Amino acid sequence: MKFSEETLMAYADNELDAKTRTAVEEAMATDPEVARRVAQHKALRGKVRLAFDNVTDEPVPQRLIDAARGVPAVRREGNVIPLRRKAPPPRAWPQWASIAASLVVGVIVGQAMLRGSGSDLVTSRGGQLLANSVLSHALSEQLASTQTDQSAVRVGVSFKSKAGTYCRTFTAHESTTLAGLACRDHDDWRVQVLAQTTSTPENNTAYRQAGSALPKSVLQAVDDNISGEPLDAAAESAAREKNWNP
Amino acid sequence: MHASLEQVREQIVDLLPRLRRFARTLARDPHDADDLVQIAVERALARSEQLRPDSRLSSWMFGILRNAWIDEARTRGRRNQIFAPEALGENVGDAASETHTDVLSVQDAMARLPDEQRVAIGLVLVEGLSYKEAAEIMGVPVGTLTSRLARGREALQAMLADTTGAAQ
Repeated sequence: MKFSEETLMAYADNELDAKTRTAVEEAMATDPEVARRVAQHKALRGKVRLAFDNVTDEPVPQRLIDAARGVPAVRREGNVIPLRRKAPPPRAWPQWASIAASLVVGVIVGQAMLRGSGSDLVTSRGGQLLANSVLSHALSEQLASTQTDQSAVRVGVSFKSKAGTYCRTFTAHESTTLAGLACRDHDDWRVQVLAQTTSTPENNTAYRQAGSALPKSVLQAVDDNISGEPLDAAAESAAREKNWNP
Repeated sequence: MHASLEQVREQIVDLLPRLRRFARTLARDPHDADDLVQIAVERALARSEQLRPDSRLSSWMFGILRNAWIDEARTRGRRNQIFAPEALGENVGDAASETHTDVLSVQDAMARLPDEQRVAIGLVLVEGLSYKEAAEIMGVPVGTLTSRLARGREALQAMLADTTGAAQ
């Protein structure tokens, strides 16, 4: 008896009625080709299952637990920072501001940052500022030693905080330059401080890499949080291997 | 009898690991997958009164997550495909064992399947649901589910042919 591929697939998925199942098993016993095809379906099933199985062993990000429990109570998609707002007229920064024009999170979220593409970098969730995909991806994947000048986001100093979590400074060059400090919180990067500067990447490449290029508020946050020395290249790479888990 | 909203919330918390796994079969990027779970959880809670007492919370949640994925894929384009190749390339370079390479290639192959085939494979092969449950979640007859599953499998088999052949 000939069996369709769908029937053999259904056998591997344990979806056949008893009668058809028996018929397939009889065919498997006598026809190596049927046995081979069934084995192939079973192997693929096992392989696909195995590829995703470890996800259930991962710690569930706190933000998802909070979403399910409704903590805080009001949190819908509408609460995410809107990507487009009416753009205010471009603002001329005074000369002195280019040295260290820095604004802390509350100010910048309220006024300056939301209007431009800079808001693509962070998402507000439950009153906390989290790195969104582009920034989060850069923080998780980029190493200071190997990143290119073309990267939209550049990672600066990485270190272990007094709380035992990994933190990394970053700068993002878009219409303006944003700099900040983010610390790992489960699977998220929580942005501790975000500041805007007017220093442009064209000015001086070394300037971008030097710690002193970071706005004062970011440097202050680093000083407040750092435990010990910044990570060297090997430690940075090792931390990435661990997915930045403490 | 209706479960209280608090009970539903806790049941959803218990389901989160499976929801994350299912989302990972749909979105290649883990962050995108978790975003999908969050959207599904928020949508579910916003309309928890639609949860019928006789329906399974897991099926209901899988359905909302699947719909969220289809919406996202249509409206936002394939954000995950922008990030997938780089992330994959890095991990492949790091992979020391053959098993590791295998696992990665399955995920990469899944990301190349058409959306509905990916949903079918995710529900039946990864989540272990019956054809009937999976068809209900997708809102299609069992025959449609079966053919999507068969085509998805065939495509995966073809993409993974090398590694499967080597392992046997």
